[in-house]
Amino acid sequence: MPPGDMYKNTQCVRCDYGFEPHEKIVNTNGELWHPQCFVCAQCFRSFPEGIFYEFEGRKYCEHDFQMLFAPCCGRCGEFIIGRVIKAMNANWHPKCFLCEMCDKELADQGFIRHQNKALCHDCNARAKAASLGKHVCHKCHSMIDDRPLRFRGEVYHPYHFNCSSCGIELNADAREVKSRPGFTANEMNELYCLRCHDKMGIPICGACRRPIEERVVTALGKHFHVEHFVCAKCEKPFLGNRHYEKKGLAYCETHYHQLFGNLCFVCNQVIGGDVFTALNKAWCVHHFACSVCDTKMSQKTKFYEFDLKPTCKKCFDKFPAELRKRLKKAYETSPRKSSAAN
Amino acid sequence: MSKVRKIIDEAKESKNPELDLVDKGISSFDEIPSLLTMLNLTRITLTHNRISVVTPALANLTNLEILNLFNNQVEELPTSLSSMPKLRILNLGMNKLSALPRGFGAFPVLEVLDLTYNNLNESSLPGNFFMIETLRALYLGDNDFERIPPEIGHLKNLQILVLRDNDLVELPKEIGELVRLRELHIQGNRLSVLPPELGNLDLTSNKSVIRMENNPWVAPIADQLQVGLSHVIDYLRSETYKFVYGRHISANAPAPARLTERTKKSSKPKP
Repeated sequence: MPPGDMYKNTQCVRCDYGFEPHEKIVNTNGELWHPQCFVCAQCFRSFPEGIFYEFEGRKYCEHDFQMLFAPCCGRCGEFIIGRVIKAMNANWHPKCFLCEMCDKELADQGFIRHQNKALCHDCNARAKAASLGKHVCHKCHSMIDDRPLRFRGEVYHPYHFNCSSCGIELNADAREVKSRPGFTANEMNELYCLRCHDKMGIPICGACRRPIEERVVTALGKHFHVEHFVCAKCEKPFLGNRHYEKKGLAYCETHYHQLFGNLCFVCNQVIGGDVFTALNKAWCVHHFACSVCDTKMSQKTKFYEFDLKPTCKKCFDKFPAELRKRLKKAYETSPRKSSAAN
Repeated sequence: MSKVRKIIDEAKESKNPELDLVDKGISSFDEIPSLLTMLNLTRITLTHNRISVVTPALANLTNLEILNLFNNQVEELPTSLSSMPKLRILNLGMNKLSALPRGFGAFPVLEVLDLTYNNLNESSLPGNFFMIETLRALYLGDNDFERIPPEIGHLKNLQILVLRDNDLVELPKEIGELVRLRELHIQGNRLSVLPPELGNLDLTSNKSVIRMENNPWVAPIADQLQVGLSHVIDYLRSETYKFVYGRHISANAPAPARLTERTKKSSKPKP
């Protein structure tokens, strides 16, 4: 049989026509094609370098096959050839499926879905703790249910540590001590139980109950951090400014006078010099005067009280007789201060 | 009269910003016209004179901080007074005021207002009277108030409130909003109960005064008053009292009779 005759009764898989003698024929797995028929089912162009992909009996060039059927990576957007990670309703390159908090590869170690984020086990524990307002121990990586112990800038279960002095297992009351004042490197810090700490003589701030490592303010029989010694009313630190003490509390000048009434009744200003107090009020010495005629009065001037206002005798004597009579009667029948105190 | 002129001339010469014209027999501002040119004055005291008309031109003294007209014959005030930009203390005690002008409450910085011993009552107050937010002392003793408008609650800075010897038959509950109040005089009225809201105020500290004698109190208040003022305040704060008060208000008992003691007040117009 001359060459070419062996295809005499054969035909192209695609167009069903036969082949001319000496015509080029493409043969794949026993199927014969005209070269012009052996093209991508999508773009009708020949396969670059003869590489094609088959899907449901159709052949596609690499580009169209990927366009039509290959998965896209949820992270980089490129096609995925080879191992596909299906997770979180998307496809991923193994190198692209990472913990959303620490960027660790998750393909082989597994992941946990937390609030629609893929997280590694450690990060999941941390996120869960944070959402509950809790900390994760820096040593054992599990959640701290009780109060945490802060040490060298991290949080821990207190029971991982022992007192540097007596060796007792610590609880959350333990204190971190900067063993070399002035050095900020917290690698120098050590932990002590509250008992040993108190014995070390480090002053404790009367406001925050924490040790004072830097400047100490001593007032009201207590020690304070400079920034914690504040006005009991406005809570602004005194920072060395004058403060006023009353019933175990400290106040700034403005609030002390506002609260305890040392504003002058006439000028309504804080009384700078000596204070004249009478009739439930206070005056600058030079503003103390008869409320009726504005005549200045001194410490020694005798005066009458009229609606708790000072009134000089001259003015009081000018009051209508009926008013003086009423005031006298009211004065005589009113409960005396001395009897009220008894 | 030359004496008054001499005092004014001296004050002008020495540039003293405070002028005292006490008990000088002055009956009108017409007698002291040069006063109105002394723009530097910060205080004028005209106590114990016979002035019946306050000239509107007084408001031109824009530096005035204290105006004292105690014990005069003033029956009417000019509206212009309320616009004085620096007036802090206004003493109009012991005059013959039976009304205040419209817009009286417009004072921008008034702190002390003394209207003791006049003929004022709730209908003599203009609508904006309680808008003087800067007020820290209000003296209304010896007047004819039967009720205090609830708007008194607007006076957030009030520290002193004197309502002694009026005709008050009740106090508004808004008095409990005057959180800075530390002096309350309500003696000599026709009060039988107090609003429980008064218990909100700190009136029993050693920096506070409350005077409440000489009122026809209901028996439980009168009993507590016998023991002491702090007992009255504690009682006002109790649930028992809220019940007593509620019952008293709903019973709508007639107000106690008017007191006769003050009918001889010299501020009253002569019949």
